[in-house]
Amino acid sequence: MGDSRAERALRSLEGVGYWAAVAPLLSRLPAAIGYRAACRRGDWLFRRQTAKRAELVRNLTLLGNGLGTGLGTGLGTGLGAAAAQQVARDWFRFASCEVLDVMRLRRGTRPLRRLVEIQGREHLAAALAGGKGAILCGAHFGSYNSSYSLLHASGFPITSIGRWQYKYTVGLSSAERRFWDLVYRRLRRYRQRPNIEPWPGRVEVAALAAAALRANEVVTIAIDAPPLDSDLARAVEVPFLGRRAKLLPGVVTLARLTGAPVLMCFQYRRADYRHQVLEISAPVPMDGDVTTAFGRCAAGVSAAVERAPAHWAYWTSTPDLRTLELRGPDPVPSPAGPSPRADEVMMRHRAADRVPTPG
Amino acid sequence: METVINDYVSRELVQDQGLLPLTDDTSLLETGILDSLNLLRLVVFLEERFGIAVGDADLLPDNFASVNAICGYVRAREPGKQEAVRG
Repeated sequence: MGDSRAERALRSLEGVGYWAAVAPLLSRLPAAIGYRAACRRGDWLFRRQTAKRAELVRNLTLLGNGLGTGLGTGLGTGLGAAAAQQVARDWFRFASCEVLDVMRLRRGTRPLRRLVEIQGREHLAAALAGGKGAILCGAHFGSYNSSYSLLHASGFPITSIGRWQYKYTVGLSSAERRFWDLVYRRLRRYRQRPNIEPWPGRVEVAALAAAALRANEVVTIAIDAPPLDSDLARAVEVPFLGRRAKLLPGVVTLARLTGAPVLMCFQYRRADYRHQVLEISAPVPMDGDVTTAFGRCAAGVSAAVERAPAHWAYWTSTPDLRTLELRGPDPVPSPAGPSPRADEVMMRHRAADRVPTPG
Repeated sequence: METVINDYVSRELVQDQGLLPLTDDTSLLETGILDSLNLLRLVVFLEERFGIAVGDADLLPDNFASVNAICGYVRAREPGKQEAVRG
């Protein structure tokens, strides 16, 4: 299974080595070469990380009925075992490519901006013209953190609601925290305000977001995060990936209290792995009751995942899928083995804004 | 002011009816009445009702811990008081 202590230590070492040395080097090479090498690393992880791959494929197979065409994978309709393997391979490739996205932000945004086409800027500009700010509603999907940095650098004052995982991961040494702090400094540099980081008992989160919106700025929210225990009572059930998921509808309340329009925002990686498209939608109608209005946002996320499943971060986290109520309990112990270590989750910075589950 | 704020909190923010009637020194945080979105609702209400502006730096749990704490905060922020402080 590859989960011995030595294997885990090796994986951890490889991850740090990739972030600290290999990816910075690759990010200086021509994009075609750098991203191709990142994909090779993704393929290697796909072969080596058998437990994680098994969990990914299992969740894709269980939940993937009706998933769309994927991205350059030629999945066709439905998601059989072979297609799930293909999406899983892309998932590992994307994870490695996203590290390069972050590294390309090291010396300004130009190296990354050349690879990302932004569609729908006019929607965001029009929303801000209303003077009440704008909410970009997205998910832990693709290179979302890098995409927000690009948007900020292109003239939109962006602040994100989200946690930096390294601050909360249990058991990290101070040296490790400093390392990840340095890594994510690249992203933090391109934000209007420090991230608004929710954690249990922190009650000023929504008010801080409202303050940014009142200043006619842009606030980003990922709505697919599994609710914390303390928030479960506020979660609503909405259609999601052909099932019903429990998600927090705070984006709707925030929009209604501030008058800020809500736009959906997703970044898709193209079939060559180095080019991406950042798509910003027109404002989502916020009329109707909270569940109805939020259902439109959730439908936007669901459609993005169905269109390009390999971009979604949560396929490897069965506990999170259970909290979302997308997965029931296993009748037998999962063959996937233990959940990924915190450092592995962190290396997929897609999931960077969740408080780790204790233990 | 205490009555106005207590009425608003009791009517709009309290979900567990077992917490009613609310006393002015009931902890809004420990009882779970004040979560993130409810604090925003409360801030919007206070700004509209009392004509104050709640700044980022004022979003401290202590300022919103109970009806009494909120009243103390609002009184300190009322336009006349602000001018008096500045003067």
